[in-house]
Amino acid sequence: MAHQAHAYHMVDPSPWPLTGAVGALLLTSGLAIWFHFHSITLMTLGLMLLFLTMYQWWRDIIREGTFQGHHTPPVQKGLRYGMILFITSEVFFFLGFFWAFYHSSLAPTPELGGCWPPTGVTTLDPFEVPLLNTAVLLASGVTVTWAHHSLMENNRKQAIQSLTLTILLGLYFTTLQATEYYEAPFTIADGVYGSTFFVATGFHGLHVIIGSSFLAICLLRQIQYHFTSEHHFGFEAAAWYWHFVDVVWLFLYVSIYWWGS
Amino acid sequence: MSGACSAHTLKAQVDVEMASKILLRACRVTLMRRQHVLLRTPQRVMSAKGIPTDEEQAAGLERRVLQAMKKGQDPYSILKPKEYTGTRDDPHIVPSINNKRLVGCLCEEDNTAIVWFWLHEGNPQRCPSCGSHYELVHHELPH
Repeated sequence: MAHQAHAYHMVDPSPWPLTGAVGALLLTSGLAIWFHFHSITLMTLGLMLLFLTMYQWWRDIIREGTFQGHHTPPVQKGLRYGMILFITSEVFFFLGFFWAFYHSSLAPTPELGGCWPPTGVTTLDPFEVPLLNTAVLLASGVTVTWAHHSLMENNRKQAIQSLTLTILLGLYFTTLQATEYYEAPFTIADGVYGSTFFVATGFHGLHVIIGSSFLAICLLRQIQYHFTSEHHFGFEAAAWYWHFVDVVWLFLYVSIYWWGS
Repeated sequence: MSGACSAHTLKAQVDVEMASKILLRACRVTLMRRQHVLLRTPQRVMSAKGIPTDEEQAAGLERRVLQAMKKGQDPYSILKPKEYTGTRDDPHIVPSINNKRLVGCLCEEDNTAIVWFWLHEGNPQRCPSCGSHYELVHHELPH
C-alpha cells in the first residue's frame, strides 16, 4: 500500500470552494437586487448556498481530522497559524470602525454642535446594561477557560457544563444587546453618532453570534467524543475567537459607551 | 355554583392535572435521556473522567506519527534532521523508503547553488563538490 512519506495533508478534491464562491456571488448581487428591486429571492438563495457550503466543508474537515487522522502535528500547526492570521485580519476590520469613531468624536464638527456626544443625542448610561454586558462577557471568558482545562484534564462532565455555560452567557449578551437596540433613544440614522455606534456594536454583535455558534458546534462535538485531552484544536480555535470577541467588546465599551458618553 | 358549572370546573381541573403530569413526565424523561448521553461513558473510554486520550482515539496518519514518536522515531521527517560532520566515520545518514533518494548538498552555509545527486543504497557516496560523505539507510513507513 503506497503511503505518503510526509506528515502533511494533501486534501482530496472538493466542490465546496466552488459552491461557496457561487453562494457569495449570489449573496452580494442578491443584496443589490434587494436594495433596488425589493426582491429577496437571489439573496436568500445565496445565503442558503453559503450555509450549506459551510456545513459540508467543515463537516468534511471534521471527518478528515477527527475520524481519518490527517491532522498530524505539522498540520495542526498550520491550522493554528491560519486561525491566528484570520483573527488578526478581523482585528484590522474592527480597527477601521474604531478609526471612524475616533475621527468623528475627537474633533466634532459644527454640524454636531462642536461637542461629543452630539447635540440632541441621549447616550446610553454606561453603568447600566452595557456594564452588565461587560460582566457577562468577562465571565464567559472565565467559563471557556474552565472548559479548556476540563478538556485537558479528561473531565467530561465539567467540560460540557462549562462550555454550555459559556454559550448561555453568550446568548444572554445577545439578548441584552438586542433589547438595548430596541429601546435605544437614537437610531443608525442619527448622524455620525448613530452610524459609528450601530455599525461598530452591530458588527461586534454579529461576531458574538458567530462565536457562540462556533462554541455550540464544539459542544456538540465534545458530547460526541471528538476531542481528546491532547488534541482539540477546534475547541481552541473557538476559544481564541471568543476571547477576541471579548476584547473587542472591552474596547467598544471603553471608547464608545464610556468615553463617548 | 350550579351543578353543571361545578362539573365543568371539575373536568377542567382534571384536564389541567393530567396535562401537567404528562408535561412533567416528558421533562423528566428528556432530562434523564440527556443525562444518559452526557454521563454514559462507553467501555473504550478508559481515561479517568470520560474524555479519551490520543492513545485511545487517534487514527490514521496522526496515530502512526504519535506511535513512532513515542518510540523515538521520526519516519515522516517532522523534526529537523540530525547534524552530522560528514566525514568517512560520521557520514550524513539519509533515511529512505526506496533504494535511492535525491540529496541536495549545501557545501557551505549560505551557498545558493545546491549540489543535487542521487544517493544509492550500499557504500556511502561523496558529494561531487565538497566531498562530504552520505549514506542511505533504508526504513519502512509504519502501517
